[in-house]
Amino acid sequence: MTPFLGPLDSSGGVPPLQQTRVAAFLVSAHGALARRLAIGTPLTLKFGWQTELHSQLHRETEIATLMMRATSWVADFELAHLCLSWETAWLPKPVEGVADWSQGVLIDLAALAHAIHAAIRPAALLPVEANAQDPFVLALRRIEFESSRLIQAQILFLKGPEFVAIRGCVNTAVERRHQQVRDLWEAMLKSIGVQCA
Amino acid sequence: MPFLSHGGHRIRYELKGPASGPAYVLVNGLTQYAELWRGYCDTLVAKKFRVLTFDLLGQGESDKPSLFINQDDQVAAIRALVNLLGEGPVFLSGISFGGLIALRYAIAHGGTLAGLVQMSSFAELSPQLLLLGNAMRTGLILGGTSYLQDLLLPMNLSDAWLGPQLKHLEAIKRQGWLINDVYALQNLMDSFLDFEALTDRLGSIRIPTMILNGEFDFLTPRSLHETLRANIPDSALIIIPLAYHAFTLEKPALTAELLAKFAADVLSGQWKGGGSVWIAPDEAGGEVMPFPSEYDHLRAIPVRKATT
Repeated sequence: MTPFLGPLDSSGGVPPLQQTRVAAFLVSAHGALARRLAIGTPLTLKFGWQTELHSQLHRETEIATLMMRATSWVADFELAHLCLSWETAWLPKPVEGVADWSQGVLIDLAALAHAIHAAIRPAALLPVEANAQDPFVLALRRIEFESSRLIQAQILFLKGPEFVAIRGCVNTAVERRHQQVRDLWEAMLKSIGVQCA
Repeated sequence: MPFLSHGGHRIRYELKGPASGPAYVLVNGLTQYAELWRGYCDTLVAKKFRVLTFDLLGQGESDKPSLFINQDDQVAAIRALVNLLGEGPVFLSGISFGGLIALRYAIAHGGTLAGLVQMSSFAELSPQLLLLGNAMRTGLILGGTSYLQDLLLPMNLSDAWLGPQLKHLEAIKRQGWLINDVYALQNLMDSFLDFEALTDRLGSIRIPTMILNGEFDFLTPRSLHETLRANIPDSALIIIPLAYHAFTLEKPALTAELLAKFAADVLSGQWKGGGSVWIAPDEAGGEVMPFPSEYDHLRAIPVRKATT
């Protein structure tokens, strides 16, 4: 077990099976966010905050399609059951202590987005020697770069004044999503010989 | 390194030195981690001190709360760490963000300390510091940890230090980038959004306090340290020549020597604070000299003090 992807090939590329498994996880996670945002973003924007939803929808879509195109995919027969467990995990979950169902769904979506962008650091898996011009390498760096702004968007929402009274519930929802995402991410990495630091 | 469990969080710490010695607790700045104090540990342990280093909540390998963390949480964590040290004298020293946390600790729990060291610290957000802090936070949000590092390195370190390191800067940055999570840094910086000045409470700090300020500190300039000096009764300000904000990284031997001398002076009853102003030597081993009394230590050019 090492903390980084590899061993790299002679051109500094990540082994295709590792690429496939990492990319599948990221496509699943960011794809799930994109789907939920697509449902939640109205066709005609009526409020200022909806422009942020629209922006996030397109960032998540970009990440999913970028990974699909930048990855050297190989056949991976374990992906079927892995994807099923990931997709199940991303399903909306009720937030305990929040009576308003639609508000609970929004909090859960923001908590999941926060966790996916905060607990997953794809670029930190790259060894120093990784080829800086390799599309898979660049894609991982791109995702981590985009995450910083997207995390702040979730922070602004989750710490917003409308949730002050249910701050404990919000915190629990975010911590639970963090733990869930971290567990799945670490298990996936372990399956390809990578141990999280 | 062991972990201390406190308030549902795990805090990574390391305690070195003889159990009977006076203790130093060293508090990191933003983006730092406990290993950066290694040279200080060696120097202070050699002088029979116990040294406790740790990762602040949200940094290094300590727990990183996902969303909610405030500066009082950090103070409570230090309280739990100080409890580990038992009955002997404890000196608390912090740099920058860690200096502010140490200051809050001294206000709340000054009775548990024998002395306080403030390094590149502040009690209030001047307009410059407020705007710089906002710009750093925006930079972190839009450009990530590496952008923040790009901003902080030239702002806080001298050409004399940066020059020889330029070829290795990416490796230095990578270590900090790997160990810091951007969401945790955002949470720490957000803890300033509702910051209230501590100036009115500085008078409650009755313990000896040494204030260290780099001569060319741009981020927390002399005026912010002057607030500490003027309001903490038993304090002295020492100016570190040719140094910027991060002089603990740039001049570890000199700074560790100043820490040891401060503690020794306090314990031997020779400490004379009284709001005095001093100039440190350029390097370790030299003499600390009084700032010329007829000149204004807040100015960069030799301007005589206004007579009152």
